[in-house]
Amino acid sequence: METTPRQIVAFGGGGFSMESGNPLLDDYVLGLCKAERPRACFLPSASGDADHYIVRFYRAFSAHRCEPSHISLFRREQGPTDLRRHLLSQDLIYVGGGSVVSLLGVWRAHGIDSILREAWEAGVVLCGLSAGSLCWFEEAVSNFHGDAKRVRGLGLLPFSNCVHYERGGKRQSDYIRFLREGLSGGYAAEDGAALHFVGEELSRVVASRPEARGYRLDMAERRVVEMQIATTYLGDAGAMPAAPVPEALSTPAPSAAG
Amino acid sequence: MSGNGRLPAAATPVRRILTLGGHEFSSRPPDRAVCELLLRLARERGGERPRICILPTASGDTSEQIASFYAAFGERSCEPSDISLFRLGRRPVALRDHLLSQDLVYVGGGSMVNLLAVWEAHDIASILSVAWRQGIVLAGQSAGAMCWFEAGITKSSGKPRAAAGLAMLSGSLCVHYNNEPERRAAYLAAVADGMPSGYGLDDYAGLLWEGEGTPSALTARRGARAYRVSSQAGKATESPLPARFLPAPAPAALREDIAEFRRIRTMRKRAGWLG
Repeated sequence: METTPRQIVAFGGGGFSMESGNPLLDDYVLGLCKAERPRACFLPSASGDADHYIVRFYRAFSAHRCEPSHISLFRREQGPTDLRRHLLSQDLIYVGGGSVVSLLGVWRAHGIDSILREAWEAGVVLCGLSAGSLCWFEEAVSNFHGDAKRVRGLGLLPFSNCVHYERGGKRQSDYIRFLREGLSGGYAAEDGAALHFVGEELSRVVASRPEARGYRLDMAERRVVEMQIATTYLGDAGAMPAAPVPEALSTPAPSAAG
Repeated sequence: MSGNGRLPAAATPVRRILTLGGHEFSSRPPDRAVCELLLRLARERGGERPRICILPTASGDTSEQIASFYAAFGERSCEPSDISLFRLGRRPVALRDHLLSQDLVYVGGGSMVNLLAVWEAHDIASILSVAWRQGIVLAGQSAGAMCWFEAGITKSSGKPRAAAGLAMLSGSLCVHYNNEPERRAAYLAAVADGMPSGYGLDDYAGLLWEGEGTPSALTARRGARAYRVSSQAGKATESPLPARFLPAPAPAALREDIAEFRRIRTMRKRAGWLG
């Protein structure tokens, strides 16, 4: 029996939520689905299920390229009654941005956290941006509100994660500070960059903008080491489709960041 | 004044919670009556220009709920504000400081399960408990009413079912009592089955809890009722509570007309004096 790989694509920021007119990341995640017309379910929980956000999802994931649906946990009287069945029947689960703290709170209340783990193990591609990226990791660096906070995520990926990363910016200094304080190593992604994990391994970093990058950050002998990860720009001819094969981490530009 | 010259110790603030079975922030008479009551309660604590904050968490912070709140209170003598936990990224608020500086905190309707889950994630309930002890009025409708009790009947998962609340008020509550027979039936079954006894509230019926003891029932629409629901010999019984009727104040438009009339009258008088 063929086994389907477990896949997560964690966007630092981008896709229809942030890059109107640039469908590269959204095309990439749809391209990972084997089905001709993949079933794609949007989870806008981190936004409080904002109507305008749901409308934008349906515009970006229109019915001619996939079978779109969404689950609104604030309006359960509409939509699928059996959440587990619906989510496990998808090819792609796309998690929107917003508040990762609220997202995880609502998910736990509806048992979505354990369903998503099941979906991941069953080969449903999981993806999302911002809060929808942070949620998959063991721990997240959340800058959503006030001072940066460490937030415990679903823990599907045994790393830390930082989104909307900016070298030389506050996100970087916060992440480095947390690593020094004992946060486990992990990955950062700039807006437009997406970390594609197969199983628990980073398979590749793809980007919807030529300059967007992903980074690996770790503690090495009491120093934080930041390594830029080779990134495939999806706008280059031949960059698609994706090959979900784990590759060795390439680190062409190592730099000590503290 | 006490004999030793010191100021008397401040009296322990009265803890107040207003729970409403259902209403909207519209210009219809019963909704205006509810707004007037909220303003009155807020003024009793905060004077002429009280601070009133809405927590629209249960709706997912819909702009609709927030806008209707501002439409109702924006033109009145008060300082309305909102805390959108889902929008803190764009609109940061010092949660504790802001909530504890209010005279009344109003909790909107929506999903009771999500409300409590998001509050727990942001540690809001403990702040509201402090607010309550400090005499800040807590109020809410639907999910925002049931959340204060030990238990309520929520439709957060589609079908009505029992859900635990914050237990700041003892007993249970079921809202939209007249409008949602399914919810009422689920409540009666739950109480018969051992859920703590409590209250059923029709839309536009409310219970005002002041200090210890039993609440007083209020109604903003003729025929809207509050019920005491308890279990006797494994069967739930309902008994309607005598309720005080809240008359609706003149609508805002009429108040404006009156003000306009007064302005014109003044101008005429002045014109008369000048002419």
